[in-house]
Amino acid sequence: MKRFDPRTKLALGMMAIASVLFAREPVSLLVEFAIVLSAVPLMGLGRKLLHSVRLIGSMIVFVFIIGFFFFDLQVAGLLSIRLFTLLTVSFIFFYSLDPQEMGDALRKMGISFEFSFILTTAMRYVPMIGKKVRQISDAQQARGIDLRPRIKNISNFIALLMPLLVQSFILADDLALAMEARGFGSKLRKSRKTYHITIIEYALMALSCGSLVAFIWWERG
Amino acid sequence: MATRVRLKRVHYHYPDTKWILNGVDLAIDSGEYTVIFGASGSGKSTLGYLFNGLIPHFFGGTLKGSVTVNGIDTKHTAVSELFSHVGLVIQNSDAQLFNSTVENEIAFGLESLGLSAGEINKRIEDITSALDIADLLERSPETLSGGEKRLVSIVAVFCLNPSVLLLDEPYSNLDWKGIQLVRNLLLQIHQSGKNVVVIEQRMGRFMQDSTRCLIVDQGKIRFEGDSSDAQRILVKEHLVPDYPKRLRQNKLADNDTILATENLSFFIDGNRILKKVSLEFRRGEAVAIVGQNGAGKTTLIKHFNGLLKPTDGKVILQGEDVRGKSPAELARRVGVCFQNPNDQFFKAQVKDELLVGQRILGEKDASGFAEICHVLDLHELLDRSPYRLSEGQKKRVAVASILAMKPDILVLDEPTVGQDGRFKEAIVKILGALENTGITTIIVTHDLDFAQATTDRWIVLHDGQVVADGDPSDIRCDRQLIFKGILDTPAEKMELHAEAQ
Repeated sequence: MKRFDPRTKLALGMMAIASVLFAREPVSLLVEFAIVLSAVPLMGLGRKLLHSVRLIGSMIVFVFIIGFFFFDLQVAGLLSIRLFTLLTVSFIFFYSLDPQEMGDALRKMGISFEFSFILTTAMRYVPMIGKKVRQISDAQQARGIDLRPRIKNISNFIALLMPLLVQSFILADDLALAMEARGFGSKLRKSRKTYHITIIEYALMALSCGSLVAFIWWERG
Repeated sequence: MATRVRLKRVHYHYPDTKWILNGVDLAIDSGEYTVIFGASGSGKSTLGYLFNGLIPHFFGGTLKGSVTVNGIDTKHTAVSELFSHVGLVIQNSDAQLFNSTVENEIAFGLESLGLSAGEINKRIEDITSALDIADLLERSPETLSGGEKRLVSIVAVFCLNPSVLLLDEPYSNLDWKGIQLVRNLLLQIHQSGKNVVVIEQRMGRFMQDSTRCLIVDQGKIRFEGDSSDAQRILVKEHLVPDYPKRLRQNKLADNDTILATENLSFFIDGNRILKKVSLEFRRGEAVAIVGQNGAGKTTLIKHFNGLLKPTDGKVILQGEDVRGKSPAELARRVGVCFQNPNDQFFKAQVKDELLVGQRILGEKDASGFAEICHVLDLHELLDRSPYRLSEGQKKRVAVASILAMKPDILVLDEPTVGQDGRFKEAIVKILGALENTGITTIIVTHDLDFAQATTDRWIVLHDGQVVADGDPSDIRCDRQLIFKGILDTPAEKMELHAEAQ
């Protein structure tokens, strides 16, 4: 899958996400959940997913609690499974599609270089912003500002947000400068990578698209 | 000899600022290796941005006089045309490396030149095999060490084959191994016939590689000459610090243990960061934790105030295990000031920034506040915005905001990074004054001269383990540590000072 054209990856990823969103019957959701769960170790992503689950775990628990109190146990369970499946599918999608490849795919689809570059660069900086949040949080807690997730600490989070905003602006400024200095605006610019979609990929996309339509048809019954 | 860069009577200011450059005349001939020195705020980076047309095209502002590069007037040429003549490597590696892999990073500029895919791939292959960095190609820039990041930043610009390679503080934030890596690469580039221009504020052995040094002060070139004359002036002008000799404190042996770690180990994702670290700190002691980048120094100090929980072992603060206590609670006892002061500021005025601690403590008494302002010389800054201060001033405010919690132990993480000589001398004085108040200081640094000027005991960390603990002068001359590459050869600064005198 790593060798596919980025446009194929993008299309397959979007269809997989759509299939999770359109699943209505508990049984289809459970089947999708099982498929996704078995795909993760097959792709050797088990440890990486576990690491991410620690981050998104609280969100899934939150959805479960809300679902349980406002509806019932079954709804709460299905909501959590849907969210987990959706996040795992997105995780596999972003893992197999390098941001740069995504930019290339978008460009091939007629989106301007500037726009696709901004989008992929934003993706590239997400982990760095995450690291920055941890650094700021450490620095503020070290001077006595309590940033543990408690209701009484809500007003303290301005101490996290302000430095993050200011530093994101500084980073954006430096980034613009570095890009400009490496010819971002050059009219001569050409991408070095050439992509083409193979017949197998076309067939796979057609098959997936057909299955998705059939699945939605069956679900709507 | 052809003139690569020529500046004639250049005056410049950014939009809405006072004049930054005040009449600069400069000619850089082909084959020169030039070092431009200056304290923070002297205008040295601004001078560099003129070379590739970022001034005036990117920054705006008002430019008087003329700047030509390879005979091209930069005022009338776009940056996207000048970048193949002057390659710029900025200080901020996170911004400089904006692609997802090292290979894409190197390819980016080549794509901007409009080269064919075959030519781009060939250049990448040639340069990476010549510099023996082919194993980095697949890696994401985030996973590189500080030295490797700087190396890739330089390679990604050098492969464009510019006639002038301009680097803004390429040695900042690197330990001595990283410095050596970058220094060798720049020498190689210079020997290949390129012009190298390094903008710096710290003195180092790299000066010996240069053919000419300039010193910029208040927007003017104050000095032009060879490196030995420049060293003399830099020492005299306090652009490099001249620390007073430290008087050792010997009376601490009987003091009680204020902080201790017992078999402290820490793992992240199965990787060992710290291994069985057992240490004791006595009340009133001044200790430095030294070692290369990545040795585990910052990870260790994050255990002192509960920001990290040990995987194994414990941290005992004033006789009590810190497990289960929040960092905010512990801040009253252990104040940790991290490297980047910008991580702390969120108020409009310095005064409010400092009062955060006092509010947390619920104190009404302003005498502590006045004392901190006095020791750190902050009275004139109180009404100013913390964001608009110089780097040295920011650092002072950051330290003050930690001291506002009245901790018994002050931990400073790399206090000298990005600071000029004047600030380093000032912080040595401040630490001296704080020592008199009885506070225990722990300084994490790879600046060994600074560590020698401020502490009486060194703990050397390497690969997450304590490999030496004792008297600074013994450790600094420890041939084993130097041989294993854990510490730099001693007294670089002393050699330079001696040469200068």
